[in-house]
Amino acid sequence: MKYLLAGSLLALSATAQTAAKIDFIRDVRPLLSDRCFACHGPDEAHRMANLRLDTEDGARAAIDSGKLVARITHEKKALRMPPPSTAELTPPQVKTLQAWVAQGAPFKTHWSFDPPKAIDPPAVKNDSWPDNGIDHFILSRLEKEGLKPSPQADRATLLRRVTLDLTGLPPSSNELGAFLRDKSPAAYERVVDRLLASPAYGERMAVPWLDMARYADTHGYHIDSSREMWPWRDWVIDAFNRNLPYDKFLTWQLAGDLLPNPTREQLIATGFNRNHMINYEGGAIPEEYLVEYVVDRVETTSTAFLGLTTGCARCHDHKYDPIRQKDFYRMFAFFNTVSEKGLDGQKGNARPFLMLPDESQQAQVDRLSSDIAKAEAEMDRSGITGLRKAWEEEQADKPRPRSDASGLIAHYSFDGSLEDISGHYQHGRITKGEPGFVAGADGQGIALDERSLVDLPGVGDAAAFALWTKVSARLDNRPSTLLQGASFTFWIDGGRAIGRNRRGSRFYISTGGRTYRTKTETVTGPWVHTAVNLSQPQPAIYINNARVELTDIDEAAPERWIRASLDDLRLYSRGLDPAEIEFLAVTQPAQSTLRIPAKQRSTDQRLALLDFFFENGAPQDLRTLNRRLNSLYDERDELQYQIPTSMVMSEMAIPRETKILGRGDYRNGTETVTPGVPSFLPPLPAGAPQNRLGLAQWLLSPDHPLTARVAVNRFWQMYFGHGIVKTGEDFGSQGEFPVHPELLDWLATEFRTSGWDIKAMQKTIVMSAAYRQSSRSTPALLEKDPENRLLARGPRFRLPAEAIRDSALASSGLLNAKVGGPSVNPYQPKGVWEDIAYGDTFSSQIFEQDHGDALYRRSLYTFWKRTAPPPGLATFDAPDREKCTGRRSLTNTPLQALVLLNDTTYVEASRALAARMMIEGGKDPLAFGFRTALSRAPQRAERDLLARQYRDQLAVYRNFPEGVDRLLSNGEIETPKELNRAQLAAWTTIASVILNLDEAVTKE
Amino acid sequence: MRNDLQNMMTRRALFSRTAGGLGLAALQSLGASLPGIPHFAPKAKRIIFLHQSGGPSQHDLFDWKPKLDAKRGIDLPDSIRMGQRITGMTSGQSTLPVAPTIFKFSQHGEAGSWFSDLVPHIAGIADDITLVRTVHTDAINHDPAITFIQTGSQQPGRPSLGSWVSYGLGSENENLPAFVVLLSQASGLNTDQPLFSRLWSSGFLPSNYQGVKFRSSGDPVLYLSDPPGIDRETRRRMLDSLKTLNGMRSEIFGDPEIETRISQYEMAYRMQTSVPELMDLSTEPESVFDLYGPDARKPGSYASQCLLARRLAERGVRFIQLYKRGWDQHAELPRDLRLQAQAVDQPSAALVTDLKQRGMLDDTLVVWGGEFGRTVYCQGRLTDANYGRDHHPRCFTMWFAGGGLKRGAVIGETDDFGYNIVQDPIHIHDIQATLLRCLGVDHKRLTYRFQGRDFRLTDVHGNVVDKMLA
Repeated sequence: MKYLLAGSLLALSATAQTAAKIDFIRDVRPLLSDRCFACHGPDEAHRMANLRLDTEDGARAAIDSGKLVARITHEKKALRMPPPSTAELTPPQVKTLQAWVAQGAPFKTHWSFDPPKAIDPPAVKNDSWPDNGIDHFILSRLEKEGLKPSPQADRATLLRRVTLDLTGLPPSSNELGAFLRDKSPAAYERVVDRLLASPAYGERMAVPWLDMARYADTHGYHIDSSREMWPWRDWVIDAFNRNLPYDKFLTWQLAGDLLPNPTREQLIATGFNRNHMINYEGGAIPEEYLVEYVVDRVETTSTAFLGLTTGCARCHDHKYDPIRQKDFYRMFAFFNTVSEKGLDGQKGNARPFLMLPDESQQAQVDRLSSDIAKAEAEMDRSGITGLRKAWEEEQADKPRPRSDASGLIAHYSFDGSLEDISGHYQHGRITKGEPGFVAGADGQGIALDERSLVDLPGVGDAAAFALWTKVSARLDNRPSTLLQGASFTFWIDGGRAIGRNRRGSRFYISTGGRTYRTKTETVTGPWVHTAVNLSQPQPAIYINNARVELTDIDEAAPERWIRASLDDLRLYSRGLDPAEIEFLAVTQPAQSTLRIPAKQRSTDQRLALLDFFFENGAPQDLRTLNRRLNSLYDERDELQYQIPTSMVMSEMAIPRETKILGRGDYRNGTETVTPGVPSFLPPLPAGAPQNRLGLAQWLLSPDHPLTARVAVNRFWQMYFGHGIVKTGEDFGSQGEFPVHPELLDWLATEFRTSGWDIKAMQKTIVMSAAYRQSSRSTPALLEKDPENRLLARGPRFRLPAEAIRDSALASSGLLNAKVGGPSVNPYQPKGVWEDIAYGDTFSSQIFEQDHGDALYRRSLYTFWKRTAPPPGLATFDAPDREKCTGRRSLTNTPLQALVLLNDTTYVEASRALAARMMIEGGKDPLAFGFRTALSRAPQRAERDLLARQYRDQLAVYRNFPEGVDRLLSNGEIETPKELNRAQLAAWTTIASVILNLDEAVTKE
Repeated sequence: MRNDLQNMMTRRALFSRTAGGLGLAALQSLGASLPGIPHFAPKAKRIIFLHQSGGPSQHDLFDWKPKLDAKRGIDLPDSIRMGQRITGMTSGQSTLPVAPTIFKFSQHGEAGSWFSDLVPHIAGIADDITLVRTVHTDAINHDPAITFIQTGSQQPGRPSLGSWVSYGLGSENENLPAFVVLLSQASGLNTDQPLFSRLWSSGFLPSNYQGVKFRSSGDPVLYLSDPPGIDRETRRRMLDSLKTLNGMRSEIFGDPEIETRISQYEMAYRMQTSVPELMDLSTEPESVFDLYGPDARKPGSYASQCLLARRLAERGVRFIQLYKRGWDQHAELPRDLRLQAQAVDQPSAALVTDLKQRGMLDDTLVVWGGEFGRTVYCQGRLTDANYGRDHHPRCFTMWFAGGGLKRGAVIGETDDFGYNIVQDPIHIHDIQATLLRCLGVDHKRLTYRFQGRDFRLTDVHGNVVDKMLA
C-alpha cells in the first residue's frame, strides 16, 4: 500500500509543491524515511556505507560531498540509489530532493518530536463562516485549495449525526421533535450539552478505548477461557461520564497502584495493562509468555499514549524512528514488575487481581474470616495432628470392613480391565473402539464415548447400583447416558454454567415409564459418587453420600449417547441402605487412600481422609468443630464465586531483572537495563520516580511532544473518520504528515490548557462549523478530495458495529439502557464457539445464550471471546481484541447484508419496530418508522414504493398464516396481542427494509 | 456462473470494497489482482491447504527409522538432543525413552518412498506428490506454531496466508468468497486442540480479506438463510425496494459507498443460491463417493470437506483452508493415530486423484501437513503396544501435490532418530515463500504498510525452495 500513502500525500500537497518552496518536514523527510532510512537510518546494526540520513550531520555529509544527488540520479541502474529492487524513487521525487538540496537543504527533526506550538487560528477571507478556532484552520486551507465549505446540514440530519457521534444511538422521535421546535440560536448547543451529560456518552466513548486497550472477556491464545475485566470496562465508562480529566485517566491506568493510598477505582483502572492475552496452553513455557505479556504492555502503551510503534525495536533498533533496541527494553523494564505467572488464567482471572465485594459481601467476608480464624485457632490448640497420626497408624493394623456382598450381581473396578471382580463372571467386553483406562476415583477408571463402547452384562436388570462418574463439559451440550439396563437408564444432562468458571449437570433416572431428575445441579469435572435405588414407587438417588431431592418430569430418556468416565461400578439385585452407601462413597475410598503412601496422595484424597478421620477417629467435640469449619469453608468458597474480581497491576517487592533480548527471544538475554524513556524524547521530569508513575508524569510533562497530539487526533478520528494524522497509531517517521498540522497543535494546546478536559474537547469539535456541514458531495469534490481530508463537506461514513446494532435496538424500542455489569450473550448462531473450542473443563467453550432483558443490552456489553468474536459485530469490522487496535477497517460486504437481513437480532428488531409503527404511528405507521429509525419523514416516492410493497406483502401474508406465525416468532420478544398479525408481518418486512437502508447504518 | 454478473466494482475478492475514498481501493476492485501481480507466470491458480491440526506423527506415517527398533527404550542421547528445549509436558520426565513406531512401512511409487500402513491411499499417490521430510518451525506449542504456519508470526495480529493470497490475487468467482475455511472435528478420542479465528483472520489487512467459514451444520455461511417467514419472493420484493430507496439516496449524497452497498446486497442474494448449491453433494455421482469413501456422505466429515474443497476449487475459490482437528497424540498414539488416519488417508488421496482426473491438478496446489511434528521419544510410559509423543518442531513431514511442484519427489533427510535434519532444512517461511511463488507472487513484494512498516507474510525471512518446483 506504499502507493496509497504516497499518493494521497502528494495529491494534497500538490499545491504547496508547485509553489516551489520545499518544506523539509512535509516533502522531504517522509521521502527519506520511506526510501532511505531502512539502510541509512537509526538502526545501527544494519546501517550501510556508514551513512545515515536521519540526522542533520549525517545528511549534511552526503549532501556537501555531492554524493546524495549524484547517487539518486546515477545513470547506471546498478549504482543508482535507492536500489531499484527495493524502493526506487519516482522522477518527481528525485526532483523534490534536488530542489531541496538546491534550496540549501534545510534540516529539521521529525515534526512530531518537537512540542506543539501555541498558534493563533489564522485569518480567513470568509470570516462569517467560522464558529470556533477549528474552522479558521479548516477554512484557511480550503481557501488555499480554492474550495468552499458546504452549507450547514439540515437540522434533522445534524441532530442525528451528533447524537450518533456522542452517544452511539440515534435521536428518539421526541428528541427530534423538541430540537426541530426549538428555533433559538442556542438550540444546538443545548443538545450537545444534553448528550454529553447522558450516560450513553460514556458508553460510546468507551468503545474505541476498549479496542485500544484490547479489552475482552476471555484470555485469548489457546484455551481462551473466561476472565473478568468488566469492572475495568465499567470504570472506563464512568470515567468518561464524569469527565475525569485525561491526565488522571492516563495516570490511573498506567500507575493507579503507585499513587499514595490508592483508591479502589485507581487500582481497577490499572487493569488497562492486564487486558492483554494470557496463555494456559499445556506444555507452554512460562518464561516465553512472561516476555510476551510485557511486550504487549509496551506496545499498547506506546500506541495508545505515544502514538509510536515501538514493536520493531523489540528485535533490533527501529529502522525509521530513533528508538533503539535498548530504549524498548528500558520501557519494558517499567512493566516487568508485576507479580504474575507465565501461564495462568485456567480458573478465571490471573494474579494479581482485586476482589470487588459489594457492601453486603464484604460484611460476609469479614464475618467468615473471623469465624474461620477462631475455629482454626481452636483446632490448632486441640493437638489434632498427634491424634490423627496415631489413628492412621492404628488403621494400618486393623482388618478392613468390607461391604455387604449379598445380592451383588457384578462389580467392575475398571483397574485396567473389564473384569467382574465379584466372582460372578459377568465380565465386560469391548463392543466398539478402544476405551481408555484413566486415573479413576479409586485406582483406574474407564473413559467411554460413542466411539469406544463396552458391554457390561451385569448392568442388565439391577435393582440398585453405585458408581463413580466423571463428566466433562461437552461441546455439543448433549445429555450423556451413564448406565443403561433392561428397565432403567441413568443419565446426565449437558449441563449449564454455574456462576463463573463452573458447570453443573443434573442426574436423571428413567424407569417404569417415568423420569426423575435431581432438583439441583452437581458441579461436573471432579469424580462424583452416585448410588441409585430403583425401588418403586419412586427411585432414590444419592450423590456423594447425600440423598437428593428429585422432580418427577415428563420426559423420556434421550437416545443412547455416552461421553463419560466411570469407576467402581457395583450392581445389586436388592436395594442399598444408607449405611452401605456411606460405606461405598466414604469409607471404602478412605481405606484405599490409607493404602497409598502419604506423599503420593492427591489433595482431594488427603482432604477426604482427614474428614474420614474426624468422623470416625476423633473425639466428639473435634468432630463437631471440623464439621463447622467445613461448612465455613464451603460458605467462603461459595462467596468467592459470587464476588467479582478484576485484574490489576502491582509491583513485586523485588522486580525482575530486565535484559535486552537478542532478536526479541526470551532465551537470549544480554545487557541488563533499568526503566527509562527513549533518549530522543524529553527526559523523565526531575524527581519523577523510575517506575510507571514516573512514566505517567513524563507523558504528561509540559514539553512532551506527543501525548496531547495523539489524544486529540484520536478524538478527531471518531467524528471525521480519519485523524488529522491518518496513521493515528504512528506519529513517527513513517506515519502520515498531518493534513492540518497547525490545527493539530492548536487542539493539543487547547486540550492541555483546558486541564485535559475531555468533554470540552468533544464539544469544541462538534460545535465547529466544519463538523456541522452537509455531507452531500459532488463529483468534482469527490475527484479532488475523495477521502474528505480537507473537510469541504461534512463526514459521512458507515457506523461502527456497535452503533449499528444499538440503533436497531433503540429504534425498535427493545434497547435495555442498563449501564455496566457482567457481559451478556445475546443471540448468536449455534456452533460458533463449539466448532473451534477446547472441549474439556474450561469455561467459555460452550455458548449459552441469555434470555430476557440481557438480549437487548448495548453491544459493548456483548461477551467478547477472542478466538471467536461475536459474529454479528465482527462482520462490521469489530476487531477480535487480541491486540491493541487504534483504527478499525471500514468495509462494505455482502456478509453485512446477510447479517442485517437475517440475523435474529435484526429480524426481531424489525418486528418490534413494526409493532411500534402500528401502535405509535397511528394513521401513518411509515412516517413513524422513518422518523424513529432515520430521523426524517419519507419522501413522496419512498411512500409510494413502500406502500406498494406493503400492499403486495399483506396480500401474501393474508393467505399465508403459517408464514406470519414463523416471521413473528423470530426472537423472544412477545407480539402485542391487539395487533392484526398479517398486517404486523407485512409491516415487519417494511421495517426490515428501513433498518437495512444504507442511511440507517450510516452517519450522514 | 461467471457471466451472471458484470458489476466490476465487486469483481475482486468478493468482499472487496473498503470505504474511505476511491483511491486505490477502487482501482484494485477493477482488476483481479494488485497492480504488478503476478510477478511471475503463475503455475497454480489456487491452493487447497489441508491443515492437520495438532501435529501428525511423522515417525508413524512418513519418516521411517528402521534402526530405531534396536534402540527401543533407550534414553534419547544428548548428542542428538543437543540441549534443545522441549515442552513443559515432557521436560519433567526423568527419561526420554526412544519409541520406535509399531506400524509397518513399505515402499511406494517410482521413487520408492516409504509410507506406513496407516496411509495406504496416500502411499498410492506417491508419484503425484512432493514429500518433504525436513520442514521445521520455530514454535514448540500449538498456539504459536499453528499461528506461525498460518500467518508467518507466532504472535497474533498478522494476516493469514489465505488473506494475503486473496488480497494479492483477488477472486475468480463473483458469487463466492476468495478465501473459504472448512472445519472438521477430531476422529481420535483424546481432547482436540482448539482452533482460533485468528488463523483465518485478515490481521491488519482490511477485514474483507478474512476467510469465510463454510459450516457443515446450521447455515453454511453465517446468516445465509432467510429468516423463518420470509420466502424468496418476499426477499426479492424487499431487496427491490431497498435497491430503489438506496438509489434515491445515492443521487442526493453522491457517496460511492451507497452504490457499493447496493451491489453487495445483490451479491448476498446470489450467495443465498450459490452457496447451498455448492454445499449440496447429492448431485455427485456414485463414483465420486467411491473415491472419497463412505464418510463423504456425512456432513462435516473430513471426506465430505475434501469433496467440498474440490467443488470450491472448481468454482474458482482462490484459497481453501481446511482444518482437520485431532492429531495431538501425547498419549494413546496407536489408538488415536489409527482413527485419525482412517478418516484422513483416503479422502486426502482422493482429492488429489479427483483433481488430476479433472485436469485441475496442474493449476491447483494441495498442501498437507500439521504445525509441527512429534518426538521420537515417548511421552509417559512406553509399553510394547502403547506410547505417546510430544511436540517436535525440529523436523516434520509435509506433502504437496500439483500446482507447479515436482511429482513423485522426496526431499530432505533426517538423522537416524528422526530428531534433527541432516539435509535440506526447509523452514515454514520457505514453505510460505514457495506457495506464493507457485501462485506467481514474489513473497518479498507482496507487502502491506501497517504501523509504518511494509509487512509481508514471510517477515524478513523465507527462500523459495527450488528443489520443490517442477
